[in-house]
Amino acid sequence: MKRRLRRLVVAILVSGLLTACSAGAGSAPQPTSTSTAGEDSSLVIGFSAEPANLDFTRTDGAAIPEALLVNVYEGLVKLDQSTGEIVPLLAESWTVSEDRRTYEFTLREGVRFSNGAEFTAEDVKFSIERVKSDAWTISLKKGMDVVESVEVLSPTKVRVVLSKPSNSWLFAMTTRIGAMFSRTGVDDLANKPVGTGPYVLKSWRRGDSIVLERNENYWGEPPAIKTVALRYFKDPTAMTNALLSGAIDVVGTLQAPEALDQFTDDDRFQVIEGTTNGEVTLAFNNESGPTSDIRVRKAIKHAIDHQALLDTAWAGRGFLIGSHVPPTDPWYEDLTGLYPYDPKRAKDLLAEAGHEKLRLRFRIANLPYAVAAAQVVAAQLAEVGITAEIEPLEFPARWLDEVFTKADYDMSIVAHVEPRDISTFGNPEYYWRYDNKEVRDLLAQADAGTDDEQVTAMKRVARTIAEDAAADWLFLLPNLIVAKKDVTGLPKNRIGEAFDLTTLGRS
Amino acid sequence: MFLHIVHRTLALVLTLLLASIAVFLFMAVLPGDPARVALGVNATPEAIAALRAEFGTDRPLLVQYLDWVGGLVTGDFGVSYVTRAPIGPQIADRLLVTLWLVGSAMVVAVVVAVPLGILAAVRHRRLSGILLSGLSQVGVAIPNFLAGILLVALFAVRWRLLPSGGWVPPAVDPLGFLQRLILPALALGLVQGAVLTRYVRSAILDVLREDYLRTARAKGLTLSGALRRHGLRNAAIPVVTVLALQLTTLLIGAVVIERVFVIPGLGSLLLDGVANRDLLLVQGVVMVLVLAVLLVNFVVDVLYTVLDPRIGRAVA
Amino acid sequence: MSVSDRVESALGAVARAPTRRAWNPSLVVGGVLVAVVVGAALVSFLWTPYDPTRIDPAARLAGPSTDHLLGTDKFGRDVFSQLLVGARTTIVVGVVAVGVAALLGTPLGILAGMGPRWVGQLVMRLNDLLLAFPALLLAIMFAAVFGPGTLTAMVAIGIATIPAFARLARSGTLQVMSTEYVLAARAAGRSRLAIGLRHVLPNIASLVIVQSSVSFAIAVLAEAALSFLGFGTRPPTPSWGRMLQESQELLHEAPRLAVCSGLAIAIAVLGFNLLGDGLRDRLDPRLEEHR
Repeated sequence: MKRRLRRLVVAILVSGLLTACSAGAGSAPQPTSTSTAGEDSSLVIGFSAEPANLDFTRTDGAAIPEALLVNVYEGLVKLDQSTGEIVPLLAESWTVSEDRRTYEFTLREGVRFSNGAEFTAEDVKFSIERVKSDAWTISLKKGMDVVESVEVLSPTKVRVVLSKPSNSWLFAMTTRIGAMFSRTGVDDLANKPVGTGPYVLKSWRRGDSIVLERNENYWGEPPAIKTVALRYFKDPTAMTNALLSGAIDVVGTLQAPEALDQFTDDDRFQVIEGTTNGEVTLAFNNESGPTSDIRVRKAIKHAIDHQALLDTAWAGRGFLIGSHVPPTDPWYEDLTGLYPYDPKRAKDLLAEAGHEKLRLRFRIANLPYAVAAAQVVAAQLAEVGITAEIEPLEFPARWLDEVFTKADYDMSIVAHVEPRDISTFGNPEYYWRYDNKEVRDLLAQADAGTDDEQVTAMKRVARTIAEDAAADWLFLLPNLIVAKKDVTGLPKNRIGEAFDLTTLGRS
Repeated sequence: MFLHIVHRTLALVLTLLLASIAVFLFMAVLPGDPARVALGVNATPEAIAALRAEFGTDRPLLVQYLDWVGGLVTGDFGVSYVTRAPIGPQIADRLLVTLWLVGSAMVVAVVVAVPLGILAAVRHRRLSGILLSGLSQVGVAIPNFLAGILLVALFAVRWRLLPSGGWVPPAVDPLGFLQRLILPALALGLVQGAVLTRYVRSAILDVLREDYLRTARAKGLTLSGALRRHGLRNAAIPVVTVLALQLTTLLIGAVVIERVFVIPGLGSLLLDGVANRDLLLVQGVVMVLVLAVLLVNFVVDVLYTVLDPRIGRAVA
Repeated sequence: MSVSDRVESALGAVARAPTRRAWNPSLVVGGVLVAVVVGAALVSFLWTPYDPTRIDPAARLAGPSTDHLLGTDKFGRDVFSQLLVGARTTIVVGVVAVGVAALLGTPLGILAGMGPRWVGQLVMRLNDLLLAFPALLLAIMFAAVFGPGTLTAMVAIGIATIPAFARLARSGTLQVMSTEYVLAARAAGRSRLAIGLRHVLPNIASLVIVQSSVSFAIAVLAEAALSFLGFGTRPPTPSWGRMLQESQELLHEAPRLAVCSGLAIAIAVLGFNLLGDGLRDRLDPRLEEHR
């Protein structure tokens, strides 16, 4: 009896062990970062925010487009990494009518989706109309509202008619809403993305990594790296450790700028420092509470020493901006001089507003840059008599609910990373609750006008919201990339939503 | 004895049921609308309502609860609102990873604690014994994630002997798997080993004073001989019991270690679920953890009754 | 009660130095360490070298000097002052967590031990339920509902520790109830309440004290882990756990930050553990008989 029991136990253990040996598999094996150039080259890149699923038509956030746009999904146009200009991608060329309402695109031929289907003008019509339908639920879909109709002229020619001229539309077509989907490839977007891009999804181990493999049937120039693994690290130090110990090749977004010094002096690594679209914004509740008084807002802006804040909170990496515009936008103007560090002026303004001692609810997103910046802001505000009570809210769950939807806050901090999102100041429902008709009119003018008119109007928008102290712009997040010396083609500035893998190589 | 087992089984089931109600209600109270979080920044109200209907979160709580529990019993944990993937396989996969981690940590703990504990007990009046005892006390006081951070800083970053984290399934790459397992197992296991050392020490000390040991020595056996013959087996019972009970501490302690070493285990799944307000996922993970804890206690109970009839009788 | 209960409480008795020595090193060392921590917390109310939340960008990451005893962190805040005020957080967390657990758990346990059988069974089931939720898990769940913060953490840890006290109180009560003293009192018709107050409480008091010390140490560790995960004390209030977490990114540049905060946590935990052990030796030789 004992013998049989023992054998049974052993059998159970062994079979259990065998099952356990594939623990954590998800699906396919991971590349390790040792292979270099040639047919089997691979690269491992680290990021901090993991996508919840692969469907950016229904799930918001920057993580999914970062991984999939331009790499797996392509649009008619894309942004050139170095010049920031809109260049052809799936559309070979296009014409714009006199009244600037009609766009005619000539599509590339011989393009196939990863499921084998051909890419034709029908897919363009399908994709654009899908954005406007219920299938897309994210807020950015509004960018397609201006489209009145899409006409298929031939398998390679499509006509898009807008209800009014719009400068932002073509730009928006370089973002996620411009991605081209196959009519037969949208049944499981959350897990199976089907695109025309140079990479296809090979595997996804949740909590660990997404593996992309070169699309052998790609219509264009094949990318240099065959397999790219995108690994996600919640802890910034774990990511830098992984680079130091050789487990990854690139740190795509460094969230621990203090750690940069380890790499600048190390010959094995290269450091890239550029700009992004991420404005770390100190939001004010313009509608209710003490911050609805412009004098209070101006006082706060004068009380903050932005350079000291940047030095302390983000190791001095990053750029100071005076409005909601990064230097890479055509209408950028240095407005940092509008509110110089002047605690005395701040105190005077507060006294004028009748708030010598003020208590504000500082409900921030629970993210590293926000927590760090908030502590500096609170300390600086304390010097002028304002007590800012920091309350970090889980991001996104609670922050979205309390601050973003209900606007239940006095001040908040979060980085706004979407390109050209200054237009949110034209929406009085947006969480800053800033209601200025002049700004709305200017934004409409900018959208409808010529290129020059757009630049002029947008400059005025930027200046107006700065003068109005609608918010305070603490700094612009830097594009901090650290990589092994032999990796080439890394982007200096992050101008779009995607982390473009097509330019990467190993020397 | 059989009656006792039946009694304990009923208790287990009842507690599980109560726990499931507690967990479900708790999740229902969680602020932050999961539909909104899943759909993101200012999704349209229609979209939110549609998602709620799709996942049945607009039904009365009791209905949702019964549906969920019914599924649990058949092993169906549902489909996540956020990842759109079935939850059961995800949990199973991650659970296995955590079990590897916890299992190897236990091995480390035992390998450390048994010899050190015995030594500390046998030499408890001498300096070496006192030092060992003191060392184990210090070991208990170190947070396991601190041990992890230090191990990474030394072995992975400074000396580049081992990877700083990550995970590879053993079937895929046995060497890589072992390399990645060593540091986290050490971090989790050494601290646990310190705790265990103290228990081993006391158990052995007690045994040393027992009558039968004195008798054995009187009969002429050396201390180590006597220990080996009689003592170890008797000391093993409480130690094994403690080890099993420590399993729950290890399971939860693994949460932090998984963060430091970027291991895709159950702990990180839980944290992700909470952050994404993935209610069904969190409910599923919590129930699995609760089940593990209760099962371990149950098994220890039953095993003890089987192994030591004195206690079985005393309880009945 | 369940077998595992008996085993645990027996082991609790067993996990200490079995002989009573003339001097008790655990008690002494533990007492000193705890006194240091409590002292630091008390001193912090009267005086700290600097305001721990005062940011001084010019003095960032300064090494130890006459100005700053242990140097400054990345915000230019004085580390020593942060440690002092952080001691406050540590003590408060321990006191509240243990307080909640002891004040709720002990009466429950006594009730279970003294009352009718069904009450005992009910309490034990409740205990089993609570035991299924370890402190860290409960704290994470609470943090998700009520937001991260010291209060949430303390209450959650406290609730998770209730079973330890309840179980302890119950076994202690059962033991007391079976002594001749009490049997005689019951035969003489004394009310349960009187017996409870007169015999049970004083006898289990020492058990509770010992457990408090041990649970204190566990609470401190739990808070540190929570702060590390981001669910603990909110900034800018200094907390050793958060200091440890913040020090991670600077491990290569300023390892002393991690060392200081890690050491502080270790000292507090060590102190309370040793104190608990020492107290157990002193206060409860009777446990040796109870197996």
